[in-house]
Amino acid sequence: MTDVHIGDAVRRVEDQRFLTGQGNYIDDINMAGQARAAVLRSPHGHARINGIDTSRAEALDGVLLVITGRQWLAFGMGTLPTKTGVRKGRNDTDINEPPRHCMAIDTARYLGEPVAFVVAETQVIANNALELIDVDFEPLEAVSDAVKALAPGAPRLWDDIPNNLCIDFELGDLEGTEKAFAEADHVITLDLENNRVTAVPIETRGCVGSYDAATETYTLYNATQNVHANRDMFAENVLGIDKQKLHHVAPDVGGGFGAKNSAYPEPPMVLYAAKKLGRPVKWINTRSDSFLGDTHGRGQTSRVQIAINNDGTFLALRTETVGGIGAYCWTIGPFTPTGGSARTQGGPYTFPAMYYRGRAVFTNTAPMDPYRGAGRPEATFQTERIIEYACRKLGLDPVETRRKNLMPPEALPYMSPMGMDIDCGDFPLLFERTLEMAAPDTFAARADRATKAGRLFGFAIAPYLECTGGAPKEYAGVQFKEDGAVTLAVGSHSTGMGHETVLPQLLAARLGIDFDRIQFTQADTDATPIGGGHGGSRGMEVGGNAVAQAADEIIVKATPLAAHLLQSDAAKVTFADGSFSDATSGASVSMTEVIEASMDQEPGFLDTGATFERGVISIPNGCHAATVEVDPDTGAIQITGYWVMDDFGTVINPLLADGQVMGGIVQGIGQALTENIIYDDSGQLITGSLMDYGLPRADVVPNMVIDYYEGAPTKKNPLGVKGAGEAGCVGALPAVVNAVLDALKGHGVVHMDMPLTPEKVWRAIRDKGAHDPEALMRDAC
Amino acid sequence: MEDFSYQKPKTVDDAREAYSASADGLFLAGGQTILPVMKLGLAAPSAVIDLGGIEGLRAILVTDSVVSIGAMATHATVAASGDVRQAIPALSDLAGMIGDPQVRTRGTIGGSIANNDPAADYPAAVLALNATITTDKRQIAADDFFVAMFETALEEGEIITNVEFPVADAAAYAKFANPASRFALAGVFVARTGNSVRVAVTGAGTCVFRVADMEAALAKDFSATALDGITVATENLNTDIHASAEYRGHLIGVMAKRAVEAAQTKGGGK
Repeated sequence: MTDVHIGDAVRRVEDQRFLTGQGNYIDDINMAGQARAAVLRSPHGHARINGIDTSRAEALDGVLLVITGRQWLAFGMGTLPTKTGVRKGRNDTDINEPPRHCMAIDTARYLGEPVAFVVAETQVIANNALELIDVDFEPLEAVSDAVKALAPGAPRLWDDIPNNLCIDFELGDLEGTEKAFAEADHVITLDLENNRVTAVPIETRGCVGSYDAATETYTLYNATQNVHANRDMFAENVLGIDKQKLHHVAPDVGGGFGAKNSAYPEPPMVLYAAKKLGRPVKWINTRSDSFLGDTHGRGQTSRVQIAINNDGTFLALRTETVGGIGAYCWTIGPFTPTGGSARTQGGPYTFPAMYYRGRAVFTNTAPMDPYRGAGRPEATFQTERIIEYACRKLGLDPVETRRKNLMPPEALPYMSPMGMDIDCGDFPLLFERTLEMAAPDTFAARADRATKAGRLFGFAIAPYLECTGGAPKEYAGVQFKEDGAVTLAVGSHSTGMGHETVLPQLLAARLGIDFDRIQFTQADTDATPIGGGHGGSRGMEVGGNAVAQAADEIIVKATPLAAHLLQSDAAKVTFADGSFSDATSGASVSMTEVIEASMDQEPGFLDTGATFERGVISIPNGCHAATVEVDPDTGAIQITGYWVMDDFGTVINPLLADGQVMGGIVQGIGQALTENIIYDDSGQLITGSLMDYGLPRADVVPNMVIDYYEGAPTKKNPLGVKGAGEAGCVGALPAVVNAVLDALKGHGVVHMDMPLTPEKVWRAIRDKGAHDPEALMRDAC
Repeated sequence: MEDFSYQKPKTVDDAREAYSASADGLFLAGGQTILPVMKLGLAAPSAVIDLGGIEGLRAILVTDSVVSIGAMATHATVAASGDVRQAIPALSDLAGMIGDPQVRTRGTIGGSIANNDPAADYPAAVLALNATITTDKRQIAADDFFVAMFETALEEGEIITNVEFPVADAAAYAKFANPASRFALAGVFVARTGNSVRVAVTGAGTCVFRVADMEAALAKDFSATALDGITVATENLNTDIHASAEYRGHLIGVMAKRAVEAAQTKGGGK
């Protein structure tokens, strides 16, 4: 028996499978008689489709089916709706939501948009057939930059949507902010770019679909993060069938980061083809096409302004953001640059007034949907950059200024001007502990050593505020089998994070049963009645709490049986550490024994399905710090130290939490230093492969020192947990960028936009920091 | 990827014959360029002739004056060879810097120089060390071998069998890597033999090239300061999203100095 507890660093049970090639990923799934599909994608950023001739492709031996957008429309297929929670803009305006079909109808609006779909006997034939489809494209003027897309006279993506504006959103107190700006000693302004990035999961997207004519039911295996919500959209919105006629399953998923959350166009086409052909159809995306068609993240241009007094007191924060969301609203594309980036503005600091305005703008680029953090990394970056920049401009000490403005614990609970219910935490404590770990007393010696080696030393500290929870409802089902097995099915979804370990750990710890006997199921619409999938760092917050709730209900159900076995009275029996006991008699019986007894009495009696629904989202928080060394001759950056203190409330498994934090930091380092999606003005993707898109490599990743503060478990959920999945990349961007700028302060460099490429650093040094702080948003504010 | 025939001959003669017999054949060495290119559909040969079955093409032979590396020796083998390290440590270092472990395990010296990628590492060593390329037909001096981007002196169907590097008195390679691909943005190989110095640059231009001004200055005074004030004309250097010609020109200067410093301290073979 493996005895586990909450807080144990239980090692990941799934890794044996994953690391020895035994994982069951989408491309491992093959069905008897399956055909293979390929997608013809637009080679233009913006083009009218005057006609498509598929006759040569159809004549190719082995081609089974060719579909064009016009045909798709004629089949009566519906559109994929956006599920963004933000639907109202300033002055009560409505969101603009153009129709999103699975294929371009008459006009292609981004490079990589599906134009035709081919199914053939083999992948080679399907691929070859793509080359035989003759499309009469008429290239149109494109606009890939969001600020340019807003400008008068810019090419329009949609005839009926002026200025390419999807939504113009605001939050906060404009009047109070303007008043504070008028009264402050200083107003400091900085325009900055949050570079567009893509997730590059190790496993590309793909799906295998089949149709059973006898039951009129579709089955879809899909590399997705979200089986239930996407099932609903594929079935009800596109195919026009009852959702119970679509069984949606995600096998092992090799990374998502948000990019596998969306309802993509390919699965409905695969399902249509499977029914039409009467045989399973498989489609696996290529890495090249992933760059074109997977959702991107970040991609915001902002003007950030702080009102600050001579003594360093913050008075107000104002941010105006423009975010390019691609040609469609996609699944929740308009949310990130609007509500998603508004909420945690101002971080853990006291800002008496704040105002945020965010415009989501249509562009001839790949779609935008949540990417790890979905607005909170953007908000934290804006906040921390303007603080650092203001300190440099005004000659204030960045550490002391931050310390001075952090919200004190006695101010909590606090409703932030952005509507965040900040219930608990100790921001100053985490700040001081992080600083202590970084050992500032050693900086002078470290800087000296760096100077002797011809390098520049820099340090930055970056407190952050998070908000997590994702879809609010989650289900956990537990069944006990006569052979001793316990099955646990949960509607939250791991795409590699370790739910297969930590959720059974939670159940086993709560019930005091054998961890090894628990069989875990997830991501299957037949296995759980509902499921919120993966997103918003919700695994523990809602999935974990659903498991805990199921365990508590099982204990309640088992108590009368335990009392019977103890020849006691249920009211006298208590449960602790895996055993029921009667304090008066001193007798006890283990949960395992009670479960065994239930098999004789009434099998299934203890089986439990529990639905947990959270209230308001939780507020994780913490502090990052980094040291760097910059080679001024080449502009190369090395991160030499990294320290983090996180408040995730109760930590269920610190090993898995470490994994989340480290992964997030590495993703943040990638964005800060090397990752960049670049489109040219015609909407062509310049960074469409790993030769040009700079993922972080092992040698850029520093040793990370990670610690947790568990002194403030939230009361917003019974486990007291706050989401851990995205926090790493929330803190990493400002920690890394501000540390590099600190290293360059002797050269007068006050700002650089990410990614901090060697050439950019070298130029900034050479140009002695010459910089126009209002260059990016001059035309948009 | 299109269908193609696959052959794995046992001798160089058989390989040449298979090539002549094919309509549109190509030789496969380590496949680290050609296989991705074929997968992307950018090349579709009718026949792939794998040189991996030919005995003797992987041999590494080191004497006091020459390091001879078989065309099919992988980067990993060269990097790990104690004999090579003892004779020309800079060559071991360079081989260990190519790509990543997977690339080094499959990629070969013959494949690399036959491909002549403008950002590949090996061409810099071959040119700076004044190596001789032996083929199934002849010997070609390094100065004559690298012609232009992805273009060499090799004739249709000609097979490299080995590369002979004269042992230098001091040599070093300094590479500034492209952050994404890890190819060279600018890589400078410096080699001194007696009073003669050769400086070869890869990654910065359309093809590996020598820098005469640096060679002359270093022949007089083999020290980093001898390079002060020497610049490389930027009009023929590459500009792309990773680096401008101006930045590449600057990097050549920095990397050349670093290579000279490294050659002085640990660049001598025994």
